[in-house]
Order: sequence, then C-alpha cells, then structure tokens
Amino acid sequence: MTSSKKADAAGESKAARNHARSSKRRRRISGLLALGFALIGVGAIYSAVAPEPQTANASQQDPALVRKGEQIYNNTCITCHGANLEGVKDRGPALIGIGEASVYFQTSTGRMPLAAQTAQAERKPPKLSPEEIDALIAFVESKGPGGPKLPDEHGEQLRGDNPARGGELFRMNCASCHNFTGRGGALSSGKFAPELDPATEEQLYAAMVSGPQNMPKFSDRQLSPEEKKDIIAYVKSVTDGNNNPGGAPLGGLGPQSEGLIAFIVGMAALIGVTLWIGAKQ
Amino acid sequence: MSEQDKKLPTDEQLAEMDRDQLVRLGGQLDDVELVEYDDPWPVKGTKAEKRAERAVAFWFALSGLAGLAFIVVFIAWPWRYAAANTSDHLLYLLYTPLLGITLGLSILGVGVGVVMYAKRFLPHEVAVQQRHEGRSTEVDRQTFVAHLADAGDKSTIARRSLIKRTALFGAGTFGLAAAVLPLGSMIKNPHAESANENGLWHTGWMAKNGERVFMRRDTGDPHAIELVKPEDLDAGAMETVFPFHAPVTKSGQVDYAALEAILTGKQRVDPEELSEALIRSDNPVMLIRLRPEDGKRVIKAQGQEDFNFGDYYAYTKICSHLGCPTSLFEQRSNRILCPCHQSQFDALHYAKPIFGPATRKLAQLPIQVDAETGYFYATADFNEAVGPAFWERKS
Repeated sequence: MTSSKKADAAGESKAARNHARSSKRRRRISGLLALGFALIGVGAIYSAVAPEPQTANASQQDPALVRKGEQIYNNTCITCHGANLEGVKDRGPALIGIGEASVYFQTSTGRMPLAAQTAQAERKPPKLSPEEIDALIAFVESKGPGGPKLPDEHGEQLRGDNPARGGELFRMNCASCHNFTGRGGALSSGKFAPELDPATEEQLYAAMVSGPQNMPKFSDRQLSPEEKKDIIAYVKSVTDGNNNPGGAPLGGLGPQSEGLIAFIVGMAALIGVTLWIGAKQ
Repeated sequence: MSEQDKKLPTDEQLAEMDRDQLVRLGGQLDDVELVEYDDPWPVKGTKAEKRAERAVAFWFALSGLAGLAFIVVFIAWPWRYAAANTSDHLLYLLYTPLLGITLGLSILGVGVGVVMYAKRFLPHEVAVQQRHEGRSTEVDRQTFVAHLADAGDKSTIARRSLIKRTALFGAGTFGLAAAVLPLGSMIKNPHAESANENGLWHTGWMAKNGERVFMRRDTGDPHAIELVKPEDLDAGAMETVFPFHAPVTKSGQVDYAALEAILTGKQRVDPEELSEALIRSDNPVMLIRLRPEDGKRVIKAQGQEDFNFGDYYAYTKICSHLGCPTSLFEQRSNRILCPCHQSQFDALHYAKPIFGPATRKLAQLPIQVDAETGYFYATADFNEAVGPAFWERKS
C-alpha cells in the first residue's frame, strides 16, 4: 500500500506540482491585474475628486508672457508689493487676486509705478507700454486669478447709446466726488477725486469695476455693464470741452465762477459806457 | 426870490415873441440862465455833419439787422442737443452764443445810436440856475395849512362817525387779508405730524401698517423697481438706496406673490408714489459694504449692535450738520465726507464725526435680509431723527 501509495503519491505530486505551478502563475497574473485595476481606479477617483492645483490657471497662460510679466514686475513693482505680491507694510498693498481691470487702470494711467508715497497717486504719462501691461496682467493673474475683468469691447464701442440715463446714473453715483461734469473734487487729507477729461473709455470702465484707491467699487450687479457704458457715454459727452455751448466754460465749476466773471466784466463794461456817455465831445 | 421881482410880459408882448424868446423866458421864470447854447453844426450840410449822421444811422441800422437776425436764429436755428461726435454738434454749440450776440448787438446798437445822436446833434448847453431860499414865505405856509384844514373841515368827515368806522373796518380788513396771504403760509405746527412718517422724527423708511420696507436702487427710471441683494455689492462698495414698501397680506405678512408680480412688472404700483420715494429729502440711505479686513475693526454704537448685516452698514445720507448729502465715501480710509462744510464721519466707528462742524453721528438704519427673497429690508425706521438739529431735538 505504501508503494502504491508512493507511486500514487508520486503521480499525484507530479500532477499536483504541475497544477500548483499553473494555478500559482494564474494567481500571480490575476493579482497583478487586480493591482493594476485598483491603481487605475484610485488614479481615476483621485483625478476626479482631488482639488484643482492653484497653478492650473497659470498653465493656461502663455508661459513666455508670464515670464516677461514677472521680469517687468521684478523691475518696477517688487519694492512696494513684495516678491510674491504679498504687499509690503506701509508701502503697498497685496496684489493677489486684484484682477486685470485693476492692473490695467493703475498702470495705463501712469499712477503705477508710484513716483512718491503721497496722499494721492496722480495720473502721469504711463511708464509701461500696452504690451508690457498685458504681460504684467498675465503675471499678476498667474499668482492669483479672479478679480474684476476688463470688458471685451474697446474705445468707442464702450459708449452706450443712452447718455441721458448715463447722466442720471452719473449724478446719482459719481457726481458727489467727480462733479456733475467730471471736473473732480477734494476728498479728505489731501486726497482728491480726479477730473475725468483724460480718462479713456477702458480706464473709466476699469475704474468703476476695480475701485482704484478710495473710489468705491461698482459691481456688474450694482451697475450693469450697459449702465456703465451709458455712464461712459455721458462722461465722454461732457468732458474734454465737449459740453461748452457758451464758448468759455470758466472751469465748469458752476454758478460761482460764472457769477464772479459776469460781475467783474459787466461792471467794468458799465463803468466804461458811463464814462463815454458823460464825456465832453 | 419873490414873484414881484420877475417882469411878466403882457399879452401883446407874448404874442410877438418867437420860439427862442419863449424858451429863454421859460428859463428865466425858473431862475435858469442859459450861458451856452451852441448849435453843434452852425454851417449846415457840411461833410462832417453828413459823416456824423451816417455814423448814427449805422448804429440804428445795425440794431435793426441784429434784431432781425435774432428772430431768425430763435425760430430757425437747430437748437436741439447734438452729441459731441455728430456733425450737428457745432451748430448746436453756436445756438446760445448766437442768441446772445444778436440780441445784445440789437440793444447795444439802439443805445449807442441814441447816445451818439445826443452827443453829435443836440446843442451843447450850459445852464446856471439860482439857488432858492431854504423855506417858503410865512404867507405861503400859513395859507397852505389853512387850506388843508378847511378841506378836512368842509368834508364833514370828523362828525360822520358811521362812515369813519365803516371805512376803517373795510380798509383795515383788506389790509389784514393782504397780510394773511404771505404770512399765513409761514405758520405751521411742527408737531402736527410728529407721530407719522411725515414728521421730523420719522422718514420714508417707517412702516405705515406693519409692512416690510425693502431697499430699492435708483436706475435712472423713477418708475422702475429694482431691489438690492447682498451679492449686488462688491467689498468696498457704496450704493444709495431708497425705501420700497412691500404689499402685505390680510394677516399682516409680506405678500410675496404680489411682490413677485410687482417686480416682474405684472402688477402696477402708483407711479407717483414710486418717484416720490426717490425725491423725498430724508429717504436716501448709503448702503456700504466694508472690506472684510475693515469689517473686523468696526466699533458699534450702544443700542445699535445688531443694526448691520455682516459687513453691510446702512447710514443716512443726510448730514447731521445742515442736511447736505454726505455721499463722498472713501472705501479705503472708510470715511464719509460731506461736501458742503467738510464734515467727515468714520464708517468703522458708527459714523461718528471726526472732522468738521458736524457734532452728531449719522443715523444708522437697522437692516436684515429677507429669508424668502434674499432682498435687504429695514427692520425699523431710524432710531433718531436724521439731518440737522431742531428745537425739540435734545441731542
């Protein structure tokens, strides 16, 4: 029995060995497959669930443009706004997420880079060219996307077709600081609201959405883009000598200057006429 | 100088006198002596005289032509506003100056013509008049007084007391009536409406019968209704808002169906009431959304701790000094400025005055967001009177 058993066992063990080898191979393959599926599944779930990395937006921008913008930033802005746009205390605010409208307004009006730390950043000839401003916008956007956007239209396209409504809205929302014909006016502690003569349509729009310096922001839900364009149409119709029916606006400041000039000039003329009437031939 | 000193001509002498002599006689009777009375053009028809005549005529003609031009411009000129970039803009610009130039030239032409005529053609006259004594003679004075007294006496008014009294009554009442007209309009009881929304203590934000008063924005169309939601304002924004009284159901709740119908234009609201809400002087409220970093630094007034909604604060736009609109909001320094007398208020410090002549804080409107619609509404009227001080105001 033992021999037969042995023979059997030998036969069985050979078969079993053969069987064990093949099942082991099968198990190994299926294990590998399962691991592969599991890895793919986890990867798929991860890619679906995992949060978008902060740099996702930057990769959409032209990397060369962003690099050029970084170069410009390091040359002109870094002193006051910090290496990572985090701002420098008592010099300049953080710029993360301020939006393209803000960058465009500050640089295209020449307010930034700042000449000196004074109460008011004043308008001056822009230091950066339009291409450089685009690059700077790309760089600032790459550090923190979002913020107020510039409109798609340009120039005269931004003038709405209802300047009368624009005038109503201007007097309601803007005239308290900028005067009813955009002459500007004084604010507290040396600050002032600038006159609107030199501002382009894009700059007017960018100022409304971004609220530069102490100007309040006007979101698109507070003043719709159409209302903003009507306001721009009104501003353009009264500034830069466009609303000047009498020929001499006298500063456009209202009745005070006009009354003073009328009094002085009128009095002088009346005295002259009186002298002429009373003069001996 | 008395009458006896003057030699009056007899009727025969008078009939023989020519015009020159009559003129001189008239002067002499008034003690006026003509020292110099030269004709400026003693030789008639010279070239110089003709030239002077033409110069005067030129001014009158110019006046007439300018007057005609004014009439033509007034009637026919394209006076309607033309925008700056259109071709009619120049014509529009010229309208006002042309009216002024033509009418001014017309008046000036008449004036210059008259003055020039007087200077060139009227005789150069130098006259001397004697000065009279201070008072009339005693005879004149006494007879005059007697004459007045006699007239009064002969009219018998002194003893007709019925006529005297009725005349006094009639004339006096007429004078009183004439005085009542301008004076009566100045008399007004300041307390008559003090309990309702038209009184000095209340504004248009006061709910008249338990209705909810929502915040409405001015879109330039006085009859449009657009209510304000928190998400309408960016951080660092300011909006001027006006009250809108929502309809109520019979149980005193907000009638949301009716509100929805009004906002979508299906139901009409009295247009006069709508434009009145924008015009009323104590209605404008500044809805301010502070920047989040500033919102953490706010100091609230006692009793006004729950008046704000997050970073949203609503202050009256009426200055506590003399009632000017304090709508100059600086979003970074969080100051509210009044343009009239340079008062400044700190929006982070319950809008208390920090500069200028104002001595009281701006009144704060308690606000909340409607859970159903998401619109801002005022939970109550201001807890103090807005605007400048008045007699009954203690603070």
